[in-house]
Amino acid sequence: MVLMPALAQARDAYHFPAPGGEQQSVAIEASVDISAMEPLIRDFQALEPTITVDFADSLTNDVFAAASAACDAEMTFADLFITSSSNHVVKLVNDGCALRYESNAVRSLPEWANWRNEAIGFSFEPAVIVYNKNLVPEADIPRSHGDLIELMRAKPEIYDGRIGTYDIDQSGIGFLFAFFDAEQSSTFGRLLEGLGRARAVLRCCTGEILTEIEQGRVLIGYNLLGSYAYGRMAAGAPIGIVLPSDYTLVLSRAAMIPARAADPEAGRMFLDYLISARGQRVAAEQSFFFAFDRPPPKDVVSAHGGEDTSFYRPITIGPSLLATLDRAKRERFLAEWDAAMGRG
Amino acid sequence: MSERRTSLYWRLIGSLSIALTLGSTMLAIAAYNYAQTAADDAYDRLLIGAARQIAETITADNGRLIVDVPLSALETLSISRSDRVYYRVTGPDGAAITGYDDLPMPPAVDRPSEAPAVSDARFKGSDIRTASVKRYVSEAGINGWVVTTVGQTREARNALSADLTWKAALLVIAMSLIALAGIMFTVRRALKPLLHVEAALIGRDPNNLTPLNVEAPAEIAELVDVINRFMQRLSDRFNVMQKYIADSAHQLRTPLTALAAQVELLANEPKPAAQKGYIARVRERTAELGRLTNQLLSHAMVIHRAQAVASDQVDLGAIVRQAVADAIPVSLGRDIAVRQEIAPEPVIIRGDAVSLREAIRNVVENAVHHGADEGLWVRVTRSGDGALAEIHDDGPGIPEADWQQARERFYRGRTSAIGSGLGLAIAADVAQSHNAEMSFERPTTGGFTVRFRFPALDARA
Repeated sequence: MVLMPALAQARDAYHFPAPGGEQQSVAIEASVDISAMEPLIRDFQALEPTITVDFADSLTNDVFAAASAACDAEMTFADLFITSSSNHVVKLVNDGCALRYESNAVRSLPEWANWRNEAIGFSFEPAVIVYNKNLVPEADIPRSHGDLIELMRAKPEIYDGRIGTYDIDQSGIGFLFAFFDAEQSSTFGRLLEGLGRARAVLRCCTGEILTEIEQGRVLIGYNLLGSYAYGRMAAGAPIGIVLPSDYTLVLSRAAMIPARAADPEAGRMFLDYLISARGQRVAAEQSFFFAFDRPPPKDVVSAHGGEDTSFYRPITIGPSLLATLDRAKRERFLAEWDAAMGRG
Repeated sequence: MSERRTSLYWRLIGSLSIALTLGSTMLAIAAYNYAQTAADDAYDRLLIGAARQIAETITADNGRLIVDVPLSALETLSISRSDRVYYRVTGPDGAAITGYDDLPMPPAVDRPSEAPAVSDARFKGSDIRTASVKRYVSEAGINGWVVTTVGQTREARNALSADLTWKAALLVIAMSLIALAGIMFTVRRALKPLLHVEAALIGRDPNNLTPLNVEAPAEIAELVDVINRFMQRLSDRFNVMQKYIADSAHQLRTPLTALAAQVELLANEPKPAAQKGYIARVRERTAELGRLTNQLLSHAMVIHRAQAVASDQVDLGAIVRQAVADAIPVSLGRDIAVRQEIAPEPVIIRGDAVSLREAIRNVVENAVHHGADEGLWVRVTRSGDGALAEIHDDGPGIPEADWQQARERFYRGRTSAIGSGLGLAIAADVAQSHNAEMSFERPTTGGFTVRFRFPALDARA
């Protein structure tokens, strides 16, 4: 556990002083973009003007390592822990590092987004396919995993080196999506093979791939976070978004109140806000654009025009996520992936 | 009924409620134990199943053990959605291959058997249940048991057993309440005959001593029977008293009328010589009246004592001696020889000394007044376990035909001498109340004997 110094390097801290004079403060350690969180924090402070919010964003593995180390050492870590790698929260809860979150608000969540009232999923993040609107002809837009495999097979001259996806060695979310692709579909092997043959562009983060798609260097992005992509599209980027019609994995960012939170009540209040109707609405409008029990935005390509959302395959927050953290399994999965990507 | 200090009804309901409560508690405890076993059985199967799923993926590759923990195994364990789950796979050398390195294994896993081992343990601050399955791996360079252990917190089990217990307890409580309602109804019904008896007694005229006619079950019939017997005794006593009063009044009226006539004659008689004769008769009548009154009072006393005075151990000899002494002054007017044969040592019987003395005295007086010419024998002896008291005179005695009548009140015999016919009746009553036998005898040698035979001392009256 020599990750603490690394954490210090990659940690961006933001201070939101209480607009109405500080009476209480909440410390949030997270692995979520500040741009997605800021509207939520501001709206929370509109409701609770006497609470100061200290928000810190780190890489998923770093923040997980820090939370684990603090739990093992029985040290205070934060009042709320938020990460897009919901498997990390599951592991921490399984190890007894979380406080039970008792709230009526939790009942409005779907069952798959809540484990033991300790690991709470608060957002709805589909894994989407993004394409450059100007450079990808309508006929080439892949509407399913099968379409993508077929496209890579049929038009290598166009798409070779111009498909982007997560480098799952670096990205926790990328790993989760790939892992559940493998569980979900028997075509994963072919997909992996196709990505390898097409010399896919591998990046750490959704943002980097999106930028390259915007700029036209990459034409199609696979398994990207729907919220970031929609944010870019809404900001005017020339990109289109597809919810694959065979199945669309859905991840929920997860939160937990650490067992040794300095002010668990403050953490509870912020979490209350995140899953409240108002918090969910703000998230849907300004942060994540997709939400529980809401049809996808109109300008997203989806099966049935988004009316029937049975293609969603949520990644259940629960003990099965522990498999994604199994050392042996992880090593083998990464080895397979690296081999397919020509890295092995 | 409710205003009584201790109600039979509530006492019955109380003890039955206690029995029901104890029974229900025991059943609930039994249900809890059963539910825990049932919950453990059910979830242990899941646990073992998950361990097998993991164990099946164990392979060896180039001397390295490989485990591919299947998502389905963890999904099996997370069916309850409420429990934490742990797993651990260790190789033949005991080294962890994957999972939680410090997850405790069931002790039974050391046995040389492939049967799954299950046990309770504590891990990360919670009670957990663990199961291990073993698989023998024999491949290139690796030989030995690979142990797959999975663990699960107890929350779903506890919830299931609590749910089962609660449902069973509800049934038990419902059953108990039904039983209690049934009991309350039945007890009320069972006690109803008592209320009938009560109503029959309350509604009764105080002078009505005829038996109660109440329909009653066997248990209450006994009580009704006892009440009726008591009323019978009361009624008998009442009749005795009434008859006694009637008889007494009648008996007093005759000598009073005679006395009044003599006084009238005396008042109208101018001659002193004749006056003397009347005065002598008035004296005679007055004496007779005095004796009658004494006897009536004595009889009343004997009747009263027979029922009211507890018996005691008394010396029959002393009583008889005293009684004869009491009776003798009366016999002084005539020349009668009195011979007493009384055992020197005490002759102890059970009885009331006052009544006994009265009885003996009356018999002796009777003999002196109506029987004896010149001799009177009084004898007290032991007879087997009991005792005998005999009063014998040399007079003509009572004819056999009158023996039965002589025991009744106001028998005076054929000789209409001064005195009343109460003496033998008193004696007969006293004998009866002492369980003694009073008999008459006319010996061939002449005279008349009255004999009392008292029962043995320990024969309870």
